[in-house]
Amino acid sequence: MMTNTEALKELIYKMADDQLILGHRNSEWTGFGPLLEEDIAFSSMAQDKVGQSYALYQILNDLGEGDPDTVAFMRNADQFHNSQLVELPNGEYDFSLVRHFLFDTAEAIRFQMLTNCSHEPLAQLANKIKGELRYHTMHADIWIKQLGRATEESVSKLQDSLDRLIPYAIGVFEPSPMEDQIIEDKIFEGEGKLRQQWEEAILVVISKTSLNLPDLSLVKPVYGGRVGQHTEHLQPLLDEMSEVFKIDPTADW
Amino acid sequence: MYGGGNTFEHIKSNGLENEDPEKLAQFEARIERGEKIEPNDWMPQLYRKQLIRMIEQHAHSEIIGALPEGTWITRAPGFKRKLALMAKVQDEVGHAQLLYSAAETLGKSREQMIDDLINGKSKYSNIFNYPAFTWADSCFISWLVDAGAIVNQLANARGSYGPYCRALDRICAEESFHLKYGHHCVIHMAAGTEKQREMMQAAINRWWPPMMHFFGPSDKISVHSEILMRWKVKMGSNDDMRNQFLDMYVPKIWEIGFTIPDENLRKNEVTGRWEYTEPDWEEFKRVINGDGPCNKERLAVRRTAEERGRWVREALLAPKTEYVAPLA
Amino acid sequence: MASLRCHFYLITYMESLDPRVNRLNLSTTELTSKAPLDQLGTYEVFSQLKEDKPYFHVGPVHAPNCEMAFLFAKEQFSRRQTCTGLFVVETRNIKVSVFTEGEDTVYNYISNPGELANGNTESFELFHLKKRGKQHEYIGTIEASSAEVALSMVKSEFINDKPVYNIWIIKTSDIESSQDEDKIIWDTLPDKKFRDAIAYKAADKIKEFKERQ
Repeated sequence: MMTNTEALKELIYKMADDQLILGHRNSEWTGFGPLLEEDIAFSSMAQDKVGQSYALYQILNDLGEGDPDTVAFMRNADQFHNSQLVELPNGEYDFSLVRHFLFDTAEAIRFQMLTNCSHEPLAQLANKIKGELRYHTMHADIWIKQLGRATEESVSKLQDSLDRLIPYAIGVFEPSPMEDQIIEDKIFEGEGKLRQQWEEAILVVISKTSLNLPDLSLVKPVYGGRVGQHTEHLQPLLDEMSEVFKIDPTADW
Repeated sequence: MYGGGNTFEHIKSNGLENEDPEKLAQFEARIERGEKIEPNDWMPQLYRKQLIRMIEQHAHSEIIGALPEGTWITRAPGFKRKLALMAKVQDEVGHAQLLYSAAETLGKSREQMIDDLINGKSKYSNIFNYPAFTWADSCFISWLVDAGAIVNQLANARGSYGPYCRALDRICAEESFHLKYGHHCVIHMAAGTEKQREMMQAAINRWWPPMMHFFGPSDKISVHSEILMRWKVKMGSNDDMRNQFLDMYVPKIWEIGFTIPDENLRKNEVTGRWEYTEPDWEEFKRVINGDGPCNKERLAVRRTAEERGRWVREALLAPKTEYVAPLA
Repeated sequence: MASLRCHFYLITYMESLDPRVNRLNLSTTELTSKAPLDQLGTYEVFSQLKEDKPYFHVGPVHAPNCEMAFLFAKEQFSRRQTCTGLFVVETRNIKVSVFTEGEDTVYNYISNPGELANGNTESFELFHLKKRGKQHEYIGTIEASSAEVALSMVKSEFINDKPVYNIWIIKTSDIESSQDEDKIIWDTLPDKKFRDAIAYKAADKIKEFKERQ
């Protein structure tokens, strides 16, 4: 029995919100992708993310929070704990690919760490979805390596997106006020450790391309998402997502 | 999702007089025996041409068909519907891939087919030229348009061309979830709040006329295609397909208390055929030739997707790979 | 008889009902210059549904290389059905025999083994089409100095069996397959119930509806 479910819930909320918002963004590509086969692959990964967020909201429900549909479809932007990275609107495909690479690399490491989580249901989930995440990082790595060395246009587009997204990506690791508690309770090894491993991992892939990674220690991260401070893009996203649900939140659709 | 009915409207002459009579006889005997034609077999020009046309149109229908339902992906109410709709629309894109691949075995490249779609040269199922106004519209499409497509697909899966049959086998297996999901959605609207029922009834009223067009013009005004029936390219008359659909689904619609906006719709217990108000075939012609509410939008979306994806495909082509037709 | 009217002509051109489409900023020009045809390579995909079952051909994908072909194949051909293995091979690298039908087996057209060629042998994978309209099935691996020699080596084994209507033979080195550690990518497939027809039971709801009437 956890002594501090607040710290645990805070962690799960931010993960669930990240997955939901990014899965939602990625689903905007279904039917519009640059290549049929890739359209299909990207859609699968979007479903995986939404599915993972659903599983995480269910764990929260078991910890006393509301039912997943209500929690996901009825909160406003200032109640969401996703990183600002995931709410940014899709640009061209390079933008979504780079975001997919940056985020999914971190997410795979995070879930790997969580396989040792002291909260059993979360550890079990982390173990279960290892395979999905393996495919996600495989996909991201292959694409970044392919487009990151192909044509002048592809390299320059990817570089632009990388430059733009890095500060937001580091924002994913915004430390929680309960960071020490989380580590002490063996819920999770902490954002600091995660960030460190993430930096090593993305460097491995980027160094195989013609892309440049800025000095990450000099980048000013974009924080705020974890405490409900969001860009102007999140509320419209939520309004759209909940448009039908809100016609009647008590209805059975 | 594809109704098939309007593919064969333009056969003028057979061109069969130019074909080797012995080979033609062997080819027809093979089909008669129930054997499948595989890509390397000899086939008359007309067979190849009509098949490419049909399979290509089917593929286009899938990729365009993803658009009206796709309208509601980002707004699906609740996790279950959100996940299911994402999966369903993804399947449509997947079906397009399977079908383009099948058509490619006959010698036309996928890029050429997509080009023809965007330029308006190739057609797709007319029903997708209509807009999905509300969530209930997407429910109608998921249930009844899919149901219509399945009637057509099950028939075509017994056709003569191997690659098309294989693609259809896969498609039919995946479609079973689509149909169940769609029906599930509509039933929930029926058994739900007053608002939900009204929304669903309004959608049914809107979509019924295009649904009656789905299987193509009535037999008495259609071009006759006995040779395509003999070659198991066309597997049933438009009216037969339509009748089968009505027989299977009208009772299910009535069962949950919805009305259908055709006071003449009834089953003739003597003939076993359904009677209905003759659909407006002039409207059908107008819409399929470009004058529908969404034609321009559908093609503009495809065109935009291709244009914006061009830099990606170019980056994939460096270094250049060689295109060959798929084997099977 | 009055014909039915459609009540759709309310929307203006280019203002879409789909919020995603509105964010695409659709090009308004009707004519586009003809795009140069960009073609990616073609790869045939094979999958194994269960550990002890043979691999079967499932279809093609277009991709620029083997790695990407595998990525695409996984989602296109195994997102709905559990699978324990997957491989892709460039279509060009598949050698195809003649087609036969009826009682005639392809092995009637394979030459008898002559002198076995000296020199290097390599590994080949053999696939049979056992029925027209079905998919090619994995039969086995043969060590030989060429594809033709490989086939003549197994001719005697199959010539008196049920007819084979087409053969594919592929150099093992041309195959890009999933590794053992990749098997986990299919782990959560059975959990994705939202894609299963069986998860959508409607009978109770219909009953509930009827009882309310």
